[in-house]
Amino acid sequence: MFRTESTTETERQTGWFVVGASLGVLLLLYYLVPLGALVFAQSPESVAAQLGSARVLSAARNSLVTATASTALSATFGLPLAYWLARTDVRGKNAVLTLVLLPLVLPPIVSGMLLLEVVGPNGLGAFTSLSFTRSLLGIVLAQTFVASPFFVVTTKAAFESVDRHYEHASRSLGKSRKTTFRRITLPLAIPGIVAGLTLTFARAIGEFGATLMMAYYPRTLPVQIWRSFLNDGLNAAFPVAIVLVALALGALLVINAFGRNPWRH
Amino acid sequence: MLELTDVRKRYGAFELGPVSLAVEDEILSVLGPSGCGKSTLLSVVAGIQSADGGGVELDGTDLTGLPPERRNAAYVFQDGALFPHMSVRENVAYAAVDDARVDELAGTLEVGDLLDRDVSTLSGGERQRVALARALASEPDALLLDEPLANLDAPIKRRLRFELRDVLAALDIPVVYVTHDQRQATTMGDRIAVMRDGTVRQVGTAEEIFERPASTFVAEFTGSVNLFEADVLNRNDDALYLGWGDAVVEAPAYDVAGERVYFCIRPEYVMILREDRPIDERDNVLAGTITRRVYQGDDYVVALDVDAVEDPVEIRLPTPVYERLNLADRDRVRVSLKKRAIHVIDDAEGIREDQRTRFDGGD
Repeated sequence: MFRTESTTETERQTGWFVVGASLGVLLLLYYLVPLGALVFAQSPESVAAQLGSARVLSAARNSLVTATASTALSATFGLPLAYWLARTDVRGKNAVLTLVLLPLVLPPIVSGMLLLEVVGPNGLGAFTSLSFTRSLLGIVLAQTFVASPFFVVTTKAAFESVDRHYEHASRSLGKSRKTTFRRITLPLAIPGIVAGLTLTFARAIGEFGATLMMAYYPRTLPVQIWRSFLNDGLNAAFPVAIVLVALALGALLVINAFGRNPWRH
Repeated sequence: MLELTDVRKRYGAFELGPVSLAVEDEILSVLGPSGCGKSTLLSVVAGIQSADGGGVELDGTDLTGLPPERRNAAYVFQDGALFPHMSVRENVAYAAVDDARVDELAGTLEVGDLLDRDVSTLSGGERQRVALARALASEPDALLLDEPLANLDAPIKRRLRFELRDVLAALDIPVVYVTHDQRQATTMGDRIAVMRDGTVRQVGTAEEIFERPASTFVAEFTGSVNLFEADVLNRNDDALYLGWGDAVVEAPAYDVAGERVYFCIRPEYVMILREDRPIDERDNVLAGTITRRVYQGDDYVVALDVDAVEDPVEIRLPTPVYERLNLADRDRVRVSLKKRAIHVIDDAEGIREDQRTRFDGGD
């Protein structure tokens, strides 16, 4: 009797395992198959032809430059904010966090409209000769708005995962707050910070909605894809998409290679 | 010298202090149950938490308001808090004046062979040695240790206890050693401060704390199992006569105010009298029945049901003595509670029943 019961229990657990594993595998396939279609549906010649086209080349350059700039901006402004959010206990911290999450919940096209209103010809643009729209600067502003929350949220979690004992130990050993941050907190948070950079860059290089509102020209790859699709259909857009995916994956590999514990010799 | 004056710290429902302590160039063990505020006290001294009031002085410098890095008081955490992204050598060298000092300390703490290892590969005992080496490398003016041996296995804990004692005793700075384990407190401390509910209840040498506890709490917490309530019957210049059940116990002449007091006698001072010995000059002879005998590893603990009272008396016997006595359960024996071994406590605090079991342990 006992034996039968325990066997049933084991069978039931195995059943649930199979269900869970199948669900997971299906989801993974759902990610993988379209990517495979993207690569294999295209003849290498058509991709090569697109690679040679001046329009695609300039779009690729624009995308790389702006996404890198947006990621750098996000890191510069986001790192102190993330550290403060991770360490402070002040009231109102959650309100600040909600503010950081706001761009994530806004539809990108709406973000683009709002930015256009603020920095466009009727906003800040009226007071300066800098062109905030229809420029690389405009693209960077759009991408930073949409992508920087990924950096702040991920980096905040990275700082939170650093046990405060390490910081306290360092300071009781006579090291200042600044030295402690540089030699203890930052190195220990680096893997999480690199994850934040990765997400931010990925989000920035793929940004479309807000970018479209801020700058149709100069074109980034997502806008170029949209443009090729409208003019010549899906088959014309695919090779450009491959270029974008290749560029994004390559950049992520570079970031992660740098991130692999640079403080270790 | 490290001097605390009326240090206070409140958070939530817990209140620490006011605590006043003076620590010379010695090792002070701070002993108390979990939650008594001993770790909070340590982090206030280190500057990790700020005090709500009172002052901390180290060698004449007022530390109040100074950040941790300017206090020169190194803190050793329970888990060692070794920096996981650095090698053992990098950890020790983190705040060291020079490399020679790193090697010297690695030698003293016997971690010389570990210097090139990754900290994640260290055992618990090795971690604590490295943590101590790192703390000493910063040339601190005071050393604060928070339960450094708490996470270790019993055999390593025992060995390290004595080794640590030697290293700490050789330092000429105030050392505060926080622990909930009375063995560690007595091994490490030149003196012991016993804490409860945020305040220091007694400060003294181990002998003072263990044999002359100031309160029933200290008696209980330091393992005085023979702690009894009694009535003051009579007193003169040399003695206090206590009514304990149907027995009268002659105690030294303590100056007590109340009529209801506690007295205690450590189990190792209760003497079993052999039948063939004259008993005239013995103090406080009581008859009873043996109810339990337990081998403890170092010694035997024998429980005696005394005829005259309801409380059982515990007797601790070294193994050879126990074997010579050849005792059995239900044996009738007479014991002597030596007058000079009896300590009387005039304490309104009372014994809390829950502490009897809770503080039994310690290794």
